Amino acid sequence: MTNLAGATMTRPRTFLPSGSALPDTAFPDTAFPDTARPGIGRPQPGRRETAPRIEIVPTRSQRRARPKIAYAAVVVTGVLAIVVTQLMLSIGLSDGAYEISSLQQQQKELDRSHQVLSEQFDKLSSPQNLAASAAALGMVTNSAPVYLRLSDGAVLGSPVAAAPGAVAGASLIPNSLLTPPATTPDATTPGTTTPGTTAAAGTDAATGTAVASAPPAAEPQPDVPWQGALPSPTTR
Amino acid sequence: MNTAATRSTRRRAAVAVFAVVAVVAVFVVRLVTIQIVQADTLNAESFDKLSASTSTYGLRGDITDNDGTVLATTVLRYDITASPKSVTDFDRTDAAGTTSTVTPTQAAAEIAAITGQTSDEVYGILTADPSSNFTYLVKNVDVDVFRAVRDLEIPWIYYESNPVRTYPNGAVAGNLIGFLSDGTTGTAGVEQIDNECLTGTDGLETYERGADGVAIPGSTVTQTEAKNGGTAVLTIDSDLQWFSQQTLAARIQETGAAWGTVVVTEVKTGKLLAVADYPSVDPNNIDATPADQRGSIAFQAPFEPGSTFKALTAASVLDAGLANVGTQVEAPYVYTDPNGASTRDSEFHVDPLRLTFAGVIQESSNTGTAMLGELLTPQQRFDYMTKFHVTSPSEVGFPAESGGILAPWDAWDDQTNLTTTFGQGISTTAVQIASVYQALGNGGVRLPVQLVEGCKQADGTVTQVPDTTGSQVVSPQAATDTINMLETVATGGYASADLQIPGYRVAAKTGTAQMSDGNGAYGDSYITSLAGLAPADDPQYVVSVTIAKPVTIENGLAAAPVFQKIMSQVLKEHRVLPSTEPAPDLPTTY
Repeated sequence: MTNLAGATMTRPRTFLPSGSALPDTAFPDTAFPDTARPGIGRPQPGRRETAPRIEIVPTRSQRRARPKIAYAAVVVTGVLAIVVTQLMLSIGLSDGAYEISSLQQQQKELDRSHQVLSEQFDKLSSPQNLAASAAALGMVTNSAPVYLRLSDGAVLGSPVAAAPGAVAGASLIPNSLLTPPATTPDATTPGTTTPGTTAAAGTDAATGTAVASAPPAAEPQPDVPWQGALPSPTTR
Repeated sequence: MNTAATRSTRRRAAVAVFAVVAVVAVFVVRLVTIQIVQADTLNAESFDKLSASTSTYGLRGDITDNDGTVLATTVLRYDITASPKSVTDFDRTDAAGTTSTVTPTQAAAEIAAITGQTSDEVYGILTADPSSNFTYLVKNVDVDVFRAVRDLEIPWIYYESNPVRTYPNGAVAGNLIGFLSDGTTGTAGVEQIDNECLTGTDGLETYERGADGVAIPGSTVTQTEAKNGGTAVLTIDSDLQWFSQQTLAARIQETGAAWGTVVVTEVKTGKLLAVADYPSVDPNNIDATPADQRGSIAFQAPFEPGSTFKALTAASVLDAGLANVGTQVEAPYVYTDPNGASTRDSEFHVDPLRLTFAGVIQESSNTGTAMLGELLTPQQRFDYMTKFHVTSPSEVGFPAESGGILAPWDAWDDQTNLTTTFGQGISTTAVQIASVYQALGNGGVRLPVQLVEGCKQADGTVTQVPDTTGSQVVSPQAATDTINMLETVATGGYASADLQIPGYRVAAKTGTAQMSDGNGAYGDSYITSLAGLAPADDPQYVVSVTIAKPVTIENGLAAAPVFQKIMSQVLKEHRVLPSTEPAPDLPTTY
């Protein structure tokens, strides 16, 4: 009963629950030791408005239980931190989206390059092209293979010199991908000569034909810089 | 007064509470309407506005030969499109930073220079319908052209990519690979056989996009996963296929023949290593080939095989134990059987030839073969033919494959009964004949003919692997004896000079069959053929050559050089060791 839960206790007014049987005299003045007004006996209704309020001084534990500014600060900081983190995450995510988009674009381009090169590779490695290139180099097929058996040095088969014309010259098997023929890059065409062959073609007509029928030297490709460690032999 | 105040307070509280409840109720109703009742409609509406969807292509799978050489593949080609109603001048800033204005005429000229059109043509397309928002400038250009046009940075030009089939080796195996009809469905050859395996499944991705078209993170939803088609792996060796086609074409042009086929089969597996047809199609450009020459003759066109069929008759008779390699026959020039049907040898001879069974094969005597063949009843011979699979299509299941033409034995007339012993009155495909020789080389065990090894999926598993269970058609001894008799053709027959492969023993049979004139009678043109195996001591490969209607040479000599070259190539390519034992010297006469 002593602790009124820290509530500010104002002086009770005269109104009481209607069913109260308590007489007014149940509040003797002594119950309110108002020392500030010694001369006043029973409170007068007209003067009550101006009467200063009295308060119960909170106990220490009550003071301690009050919210402190630190708590508010923590909460506000927390909220701010969350908002900022959220913002950063969003920025990071959209950055990522743009990066993904650009990398996907890059991958698409690389896929296209890959497709171009593999198409060219498949075309150049077609039998028609290989045979034409080999024939242009003066190669002939030998249909009589001879084997040397390593275990006893025996020669199996009958050695016969290869004769030209084992396969009829011109390709009879069409390949519309090869027209215009992609058989051999024309070393005599200006602009496609590589520095190494220019001298040969220029100085010697005989070697010039050999150069012209050289196997399809790869189109000059931009140098690809070496990445990673240099290859080195493994020794034990 | 106190009571009135209380009442007023209560009333105000009640009004406030009511108002709040009412507002909340309105919100709840609206919420339910939006979130539950109209949810689907609204979602769909917002999705339409926000979302974009892209098709991801499931590309059609490759067709490769037995070592992975790509015979058919799918590449992306680009359609360049434009929006005519947006065609205006535009500014272009070059690398140096100077800005110049490009007019539509200039732009059209720039595009035309890259695509190979004329600038008038391009400008005409752009201005044909100025109210239109879409028109094709050029279709199916390759990556280089696409990149060059893109680098022009013309704002009203757009691009579409679409998958296109390409055949890097051109007509090499074009007869087998086939082609697509509408760009997606195989309508010939392996493209049709393995259409299911090769077909990819297109995928669909949807995402929500921001104002600049970039996907909003985390909004990409894969509706359907794109799945590339599997790879159809053929048993064909593309180098050998090319060699066969080249050799055949050269010989056909040399002899003025109409058409021809070469079939190369691996004896121990039944795999087709090469099936060459002349003429044949370059699937990159099927319009260059008449429609009736776009298939494979070897699978689709049956013909009367003639004397190469005698090997089947010989093996049947030997297997039934009714004769042996030394059985002696007096083969007259004209032989009339008990039914009254008669046949004659190709070369006139007054006296009967005193031949052994081997001699009958070496001389390719029709009368001798008929006499020996008729030791079997027609039913027995028909049963052997059925077991050799010359009455039904091969296991390959090639589109429109023929199973040969042969009436059941009980429907044979007397002449058919006689002529079927030496390969007339019966039609077979080149693949069926090669299969007969495969069985003979494999100790009498016929293996299913294989053209496709299977369907290789992306994860490396191979599905649709064909059955490889063989069947014993004739006894191993009968098969070996037949091979030995066939070897006498290479050592002493009329074509022997053209059949020599230094170091190897060859067993082969020539054939010169009269062709039907299409009216139920024989015409004056021939199908010359040569089927054989090597090395004869341990057969590894069958090469069967057929050349129809040669003009300059009208017998097996037309086909023999082709056989010799291709067989040499096969033996060399597969590092087959030369024969070490001499050929058995079977007596051919007595």
